[in-house]
Amino acid sequence: MLDRRPNFAPSPAEGGGLVGSQPFRTAAGGLIDRRRARDFTFDGRRLSGFHGDTLASALLANGVRLVGRSFKYHRPRGILSAGSEEPNALVELRSGARREPNTRATMAELYEGLEATSQNRWPSLAVDALSVNALLSPVFAAGFYYKTFMWPAAFWEALYEPLIRRAAGLGRAADAPDPDTYEHIHAHCDVLVIGGGPAGLSAALAAGRSGARVILVDEDFSLGGRLLAERREIDGLSGPEWVEQAVAELKNLPEVRCLSRTTLFGVYDHGAYGAVERVSDHLGVPPAHTPRQRLWRIVARRAVLAAGAIERPHVFGGNDRPGVMLAGAVRTYLNRYGVLPGHSPAVFTSSDDGWRTVADIAAAGGRVAAVVDSRSEVPVALRRMAESAGAQVVAGGQVIGTRGHLALSGIAVRDSYGGTLHIPCDTLAMANGWNPVVHLDSHLSRRPVWSEDIHGFVPGTLPSGMVAAGAASGRLTLSEALESGARLGAEAAESCDFTATAPATPRTDPESTAHTPLWRVAKPKGKAFVDFQNDVAASDVELAHREGFRAVEHLKRYTTLGMATDQGKTSNLAGLSIMAELTGQPIPAVGTTVFRPPFTPVAIGAFAGHHRAKEFRATRHVPSHAWATENNVQFLETGLWLRPAYFPRAGETDWLQTVIREVETVRSKVGLCDVSTFGKIDIQGRDALAFIERVCANPFGTLKVGRSRYALLLREDGFVLDDGTVSRLSETHFIMTASTANAARVMQHLEFCRQWLWPELDVQMSSVSEQWAQYAVAGPRARDVLKRIVDPGFDLSNEAFPFLGAAEITVGGGIPARLFRISFSGELAYEIAVPAAYGDAAWRAIMGAGLPYGICPYGAEALSVMRIEKGHAAGAEINGQTTARDLALGGMLAKKKDYVGRLMKERPALTDPDRPILVGVRPVDPSQRLRAGAHFLAVGAEPSLAADEGTMTSVAYSPSLGHWIGLGLIRRGHERHGERVRAYDPVRGGDVEVEICNAAFVDPAGERMHG
Amino acid sequence: MAEHATLWRPRGAWADTARPGRHGRREGPPGLIVTPREGLALASVTAVDGAEARLAEAIEARFGLSLPEPGGAHLSGEAGLVWSGPDQWLALGGARGDLDGLGAALRGAAAVADQSDGRAVLRLTGPDARRVLEKGVAVDLHPRAFGPGRTAVTAIAHIGVQIWQRDDRPTYDLAVARSFAGSLWTWLEAAAAEFGCEVRASA
Repeated sequence: MLDRRPNFAPSPAEGGGLVGSQPFRTAAGGLIDRRRARDFTFDGRRLSGFHGDTLASALLANGVRLVGRSFKYHRPRGILSAGSEEPNALVELRSGARREPNTRATMAELYEGLEATSQNRWPSLAVDALSVNALLSPVFAAGFYYKTFMWPAAFWEALYEPLIRRAAGLGRAADAPDPDTYEHIHAHCDVLVIGGGPAGLSAALAAGRSGARVILVDEDFSLGGRLLAERREIDGLSGPEWVEQAVAELKNLPEVRCLSRTTLFGVYDHGAYGAVERVSDHLGVPPAHTPRQRLWRIVARRAVLAAGAIERPHVFGGNDRPGVMLAGAVRTYLNRYGVLPGHSPAVFTSSDDGWRTVADIAAAGGRVAAVVDSRSEVPVALRRMAESAGAQVVAGGQVIGTRGHLALSGIAVRDSYGGTLHIPCDTLAMANGWNPVVHLDSHLSRRPVWSEDIHGFVPGTLPSGMVAAGAASGRLTLSEALESGARLGAEAAESCDFTATAPATPRTDPESTAHTPLWRVAKPKGKAFVDFQNDVAASDVELAHREGFRAVEHLKRYTTLGMATDQGKTSNLAGLSIMAELTGQPIPAVGTTVFRPPFTPVAIGAFAGHHRAKEFRATRHVPSHAWATENNVQFLETGLWLRPAYFPRAGETDWLQTVIREVETVRSKVGLCDVSTFGKIDIQGRDALAFIERVCANPFGTLKVGRSRYALLLREDGFVLDDGTVSRLSETHFIMTASTANAARVMQHLEFCRQWLWPELDVQMSSVSEQWAQYAVAGPRARDVLKRIVDPGFDLSNEAFPFLGAAEITVGGGIPARLFRISFSGELAYEIAVPAAYGDAAWRAIMGAGLPYGICPYGAEALSVMRIEKGHAAGAEINGQTTARDLALGGMLAKKKDYVGRLMKERPALTDPDRPILVGVRPVDPSQRLRAGAHFLAVGAEPSLAADEGTMTSVAYSPSLGHWIGLGLIRRGHERHGERVRAYDPVRGGDVEVEICNAAFVDPAGERMHG
Repeated sequence: MAEHATLWRPRGAWADTARPGRHGRREGPPGLIVTPREGLALASVTAVDGAEARLAEAIEARFGLSLPEPGGAHLSGEAGLVWSGPDQWLALGGARGDLDGLGAALRGAAAVADQSDGRAVLRLTGPDARRVLEKGVAVDLHPRAFGPGRTAVTAIAHIGVQIWQRDDRPTYDLAVARSFAGSLWTWLEAAAAEFGCEVRASA
């Protein structure tokens, strides 16, 4: 059943049948759909291909061989491979906001209207000004960055780096926001099969038939792997026919999911895998409601690695010239895409496998110019087959150089007698054996091991739960792939407690893996490239050896071998083998570098998924959010919260004007502020008070039911964790508040204390932060406003509900609420809490009730100004580096109880009287502005670290005082009230003389809040 | 006071976000049907150490249900208990006030804190409900691993959520901290777009 072969049309010169404008397309055959033409452009040139083509196959069909310029020397480059290992054919795809650089033409599926542009060339691909770099190649040898751009250092940022970036960059990223969407998805399975070739399909079938949940991923847009690319026979079916059958069966198994266009790019701990699905990359624009790409996180109990193998290039002079290709790729283009890349191809092989290329070209009706086999003994049958195809056969020969301007026109061959032959040809197919794809199994730092059987690295100890099948495991024949895939797929299902049996291995046509690798050609003519993408030649490896960079990791970094975006898929072993030869060691003694995710580059957009722009992270809304947005609020991002910052009114021209008005309204009338962002922790239990005593540094033993108290929490190391309040609602029921920023941390700390330090205490905790909307009603008229809010029967008088009172009340005719008489502003103030669903109603009701009293809403800015006016420490002072003593709160520390942090706060450095301590500062000249972050220096002192006496932590313009005020931490500050120092701010050029004073600027006796 | 009584209406957690109607793909039946669940009664129940047996008895007496095991959701209509952490459960009632008195009933056996407004709840159903959730939830929701009567405390789009499955159509309830409802909704709308999403009036 090998009759699906394409009938290759003879070259145009011979008058063969052409397929439209595609002179290198065979007359028939391949897996493309010739009824569906696909027009596209390359560098603006209009070309045509077929549905089922890649950009690479369509370019080759049109005779386009020069596709890009190399990274360093700007050498002309073509298409080396037919897969994801492609180092050369990198293009910019699409235009405008969808422009995507460094896309491998071999992986880009052709679609109608595709726009591709070559990159890294100027002014054009054919005439590239920087190809002069190639003439300077001695300058650009390995390590040239380290040697050339050494000095003067000042030139680096201004000159060298921009120059190097312009010259050596690859493609250009789009300069507009990506208009498409990306998403994440999670999947779980019993058996993950990585790769959809013969081994992978066999594994998926064997596992899937057992009923196990199976996910099969493959980076190609069609499942089948090399079966789509080779003329093979399985149980009398052609490769593609067998694939079709297998895929049809898989699709009928309900628990099997096949993901094509999906690259498994990373292996992570505990059976987690990362994959990216190119959902819409094969379309110009993603359909409505469809992402461009989808990032999969797959958790699998078992994995069968069936990722195949990558063919090795030969290392000879001019091996990078467009037209020099991997032999397997030539067969792929011929058998899968109906494209023979040249009219007079030659083959350079070190294995029997390479001769398949000759057979396939001959079978397609093509002619082969020559076959050069580096082995002196060539099987007679192969030689006869080649000669009948018209090929000159050179056994024991080596290709040492190439000719051609922008594409290959001939090769120089050294024959077994040492003579040199010049053979005209336009394509050279290289076959030098295959390297198993050991990338994924080495992602968890497991090193591959050397196999003498295949002269390559094979998986060593695999990650837990993973097995390797087929070519990925070094089993390079089709029959071994089918056998090992089915067997390991069944075993994987069995180990997940399914009953599975491997079917009998199908019959396949004969094949040979005979191979004697040729690591490099001796005395090449011209640069012999090892790493095409990073322009590393064999001579660079020699240089690294001479200069002592011989260890593999040094070799890699000194030459950049394997460090390009292809991670050296076609180059690593060549580099290692040359170093082995130079150091006189076997290859396994040289060792190998390992690989890390991603297997191929993944767009950042796929990792970001939904989380871009405003969705970069979640946003939390306060209960008064709707009212605030209706009332011209300006928001402030505080962590995830969107907090109202201030509420400008008509005619107010800057934020300070608004904030001054809000502060003045609170201090003279009444204001309303949403403080729901504070943490609220419900603490219950017989030992709740004892628990609170132990976590708080100030005493609580006397806290009565219906009372609130300031609460100071220390960390175990003696520094202040946070402050808040504790209110006692009943004998066994308390509410603790924590600051917005520390809400989660305090909850975590309390849980730690409860679960680990004192599990014997009868305490139950629950975060009720989200349950309650909580508003501060502050100002001399606060009581008047609240009288109109609380349900009748509750006495708000100062006598009945004094400062630091706490009560469970009702509002709005029976809605449960909590009222606390606590004040952050220093005014007569209450905080009222209602169930969050009533938060909006409560806000509107209070605003309505406050109207006759001139109420205004105030935001976080005014709140902050008022706390600075009162000298309250907040986030800028409680910064994880300050103790209670530093915050001038030492006096409230309990003397007669134990609590978290009690002993550790007594460490000598923390009790040093020279430690900075909280003070207020005011500018000597009241017209001067203060800035947070300024350092305090003695007047007249030269700025130096030694002279630094502390820092200004918070500043505000005080409407109450009519000038700027600040809080700061300064050495022995409590002893220095009235002293003058400099507030020195070199960053913003500030240098203000300030006077140290009491931190409580407004109402230091606290009379207002008691009123 | 009386003159404000008419103003005190609750505002649903999804009032700013969920617009009833068809969203995303327009063709064909919707893959996801979303019903914002407003006005439920929710409460966190935290067992007193050593009083688990008494708690189980009290729960049985009040709900006619046993106390769920870790990962379990024991439901009877709209009422029930959903495990939410070691020695912690979320009690459910179909209407605001349904859990009134629970704290008193469980006194000494568990602490009860009202969460009726602390969590915003969505009901998700439809042929693609599981596929939508898979885009956000790292937990395996396959019928072999999850199902009716199961719950998971997990995260979607970096937002903490709790989901419990009600039936095998499948129908899931999803609870999120109230302040995150807007961000969660944005994710849900994006995740469901490809399947088509019908948002029903809140219930």
